[in-house]
Amino acid sequence: MMNQSDSNHPYLESLLAYVLQYGSWAASATIGVGLALSLISAHAPPFSAMKIVTVGLALFILLPVFRVFIMFVVFLNDRDYKFSAIAALVLAILALGVVVGLRAAKMVAG
Amino acid sequence: MNSGFTLWLFFVSMGASALGGMLGMASGIFIVPILILFGHVEIHTAIGASLISVIACSCGGVAPYLKGRLTNIRLAIVLEVATTLGAITGVLLSGIIPVVYLFFLFAAILFLSAQQMLAKRGDPVIATGVVPSGWGTTLHLHSSYPDVKQKQEIPYHVQRVPMGMMLMYGAGLISALLGIGIGVLKIPAMDTALRLPIKVSSATSNFMIGVTAAASAGAYFMRGTIIPSVAGPVALGSVLGAVIGAHILMRTSNAKLRLFFVVVLVLLGIQMLLQALGIHWRVG
Repeated sequence: MMNQSDSNHPYLESLLAYVLQYGSWAASATIGVGLALSLISAHAPPFSAMKIVTVGLALFILLPVFRVFIMFVVFLNDRDYKFSAIAALVLAILALGVVVGLRAAKMVAG
Repeated sequence: MNSGFTLWLFFVSMGASALGGMLGMASGIFIVPILILFGHVEIHTAIGASLISVIACSCGGVAPYLKGRLTNIRLAIVLEVATTLGAITGVLLSGIIPVVYLFFLFAAILFLSAQQMLAKRGDPVIATGVVPSGWGTTLHLHSSYPDVKQKQEIPYHVQRVPMGMMLMYGAGLISALLGIGIGVLKIPAMDTALRLPIKVSSATSNFMIGVTAAASAGAYFMRGTIIPSVAGPVALGSVLGAVIGAHILMRTSNAKLRLFFVVVLVLLGIQMLLQALGIHWRVG
């Protein structure tokens, strides 16, 4: 009989559920506020309205990254070095994505 | 940018996401073609906006699965190495691949989704007496999930992880190229290769798609192809639509809804093909 608790992490699972749930609400609310501002003043949109929307979009992109970071820390804390290394590798790949995007932006600009 | 278009984007995304949510489908597969065909949004802008809504629906919807212990988070992080690498490959390719090929690829994915929607999915038959081995054992990926109906824990083994990872790399690549979730490729990868029970497969892939889309969305954000005036209303509409969809999930006949989706997917696929061939359809 295999050890059934092998891949269950009750604490980590509820922590991730909490972070992702509230993070999603925060990002959605930010986008909502920005959009509402831009709709209210449709003829002369305030400079900051779309900036607020952009912050909300960035929050959504960062939320899963933060989730991987939490997994990295919890695995490290559990001395599960193999899995903290895997989480670190995913974080490195996510960072690589940002670098790829920045280089593409420079190529377009230059 | 006018407020009428903002509202149109918001309500169309909400509708697509509510309909998709009723069948547990990611809405990206509908949103991208609708934005392109009816909103005349440029394809890369549509893909960027859709990716944010994919992240939003993944992050906003995972909590019940996590609390229900259906998500295998260890397996997820292992497969995310492959999906995020695939996503970055997709980003690199998206700068090179001509738009016409993106339309063809999208049409193919739409037809494939329609075909999969008609096919029945079943839980893999668990071979008894087989000693589990390989990556699934070394990485302690085997697990169990609670079955509510039978009130018991159902153990399962994760098989053929390397093959699953290869398929997931492809799924990540397509996701980044087309701005959609990985529903279509999840079925061959998670059901056939890894042989996961359906509930675990759905929960785990829904958990992974957020990180996968974040890898490509991060790159597109830096590149400047995520336009806030489009991505904002699409993301917000999708989140609200997913909430609505989850609430009306139980009230409709599943078979009729499925058939409706098959028709919609095929019609959108045909439209994307026509677009690829340069035949522009005047709608309305």
